[in-house]
Amino acid sequence: MLKVKVYADRMSQPSRAVIIFCKVNGIEFDEIKVEISKRQHLSPEFADINPFKKLPAIVDGRFKLFESHAILIYLASAFPGIPDHWYPADLSRRARVHSVLDWHHLNLRHGAAPFVLHTVLAPVFGLPLNPQAAAAAEKILISSLSKLENIWLKGSGRYLLGGLQPSIADLSLVCEIMQLELVDEKDRERILGPHKKVQQWIESTRNATRPHFDEVHKVLYKVKEIIRAKQSNQGDGVMQSRTKAPLASKM
Amino acid sequence: MGKLKVYADRMSQPSRAVLIFCRISGIDFEEIKVDISKGQHLSPDFTEVNPLQKVPAIVHGSLKLFESHAILVYLASAFTGIADHWYPTELSRRAKINSVMDWHHSNLRNGAVNYVINTTLAPALGRQLNPKAATEAENVLLSSLKTLEDIWLNGDGGFLCNGIQPSLADLSMVCELMQLEVLDERDRSRILSPYKKVLQWIENTRTATNPHFEEVHNILYRAKKKFEQQRARTAETRTGPSNKPG
Repeated sequence: MLKVKVYADRMSQPSRAVIIFCKVNGIEFDEIKVEISKRQHLSPEFADINPFKKLPAIVDGRFKLFESHAILIYLASAFPGIPDHWYPADLSRRARVHSVLDWHHLNLRHGAAPFVLHTVLAPVFGLPLNPQAAAAAEKILISSLSKLENIWLKGSGRYLLGGLQPSIADLSLVCEIMQLELVDEKDRERILGPHKKVQQWIESTRNATRPHFDEVHKVLYKVKEIIRAKQSNQGDGVMQSRTKAPLASKM
Repeated sequence: MGKLKVYADRMSQPSRAVLIFCRISGIDFEEIKVDISKGQHLSPDFTEVNPLQKVPAIVHGSLKLFESHAILVYLASAFTGIADHWYPTELSRRAKINSVMDWHHSNLRNGAVNYVINTTLAPALGRQLNPKAATEAENVLLSSLKTLEDIWLNGDGGFLCNGIQPSLADLSMVCELMQLEVLDERDRSRILSPYKKVLQWIENTRTATNPHFEEVHNILYRAKKKFEQQRARTAETRTGPSNKPG
């Protein structure tokens, strides 16, 4: 039986969710690194796998699939022995998992990803920082965190939708929030600090997926160090928009 | 279990998708109108149903559910006798349909909804038109249409992912595109006419779900007429007194 191939860049939040899910559940797979900062996602070979040139993508036999939520659902359904809490068989619980996965696209993801890109990550991809876009994204991010705190994490369980154990929705959304590790500590504290349930939920999800969660996030922590070092070298903690990209060669 | 309740505003694209699906599949339900233009989605009663205050939402027994794709998937799975093509049991086929529904949010929906609101619908919702946002949205919309034409509608099937019959994804996304009906006809034509497969696909989906498709879209066609009349009146006013028709 051919192993599933997972095309991923561990700097990509949805890539991490898929890799962690596979590792936690003992799904045998080949991880094929596609480095976005080196523009490998734009190669003709990868376009053959995913014409949208995005990560993650999987190939299972002859079957090619992209969009991380669709991938997580497929893996949870296609492989035997996956504990039910990841993608419940009960239709009502399953429907609720779908609803938060759907909400995610234009809420948490729509806020968090551009916020991180426009405040700190853009130079890694040779792009200028964009404070205006960052401010707009921050509003969406804070609104989404508030909804997580007050609506999605309501109930006695530690996970979304009152869950006592994590689902694929918890994994997907927590991996998204982890990208905030890259921003300035003060900003991170300002944005995340007021949301106590959210912080606990991140810890719960990390614990539930030990040691894979931290192992898969290592590259994120490494890039965080590089960004910090660069910022202190420049002395004033503000990244220049025309930064040369020595970061790219270190990734 | 009590009868399914569907909270909907037929001016809302995802509301229409859920209503059409229920009707075409013979699902017994009660439609409860929530008029967004009157702020009814902000009422305490509706907030009980959906704390995020959006339509559509359903109540089925003790389940309260929102997000139209989650609703469509739930209905296709929970009710008996639903034709398989809507949400195939075969996992790889199902995964493809999930992937296009996921793609939809940030692409077609994001582009279409913001374009229509910022060029036409905003005043009806108590908001301002926003030409800058409209331009950005148009770029996303055109890029999404191109992607539909070149990638998602690749093949001879007539439906998304080379399907020969419609899935939940086709219904959701065609209802989204129908919102363009309220635009100025020249804009609508300019935006849609280059995409022949997309136009054919809209027709295919309409045909496959009539008469329910047309019936559920009646309110949109009425709104379209109103906007056409408004635009004509505005144009008349602008031509000035010497050119006023006798």
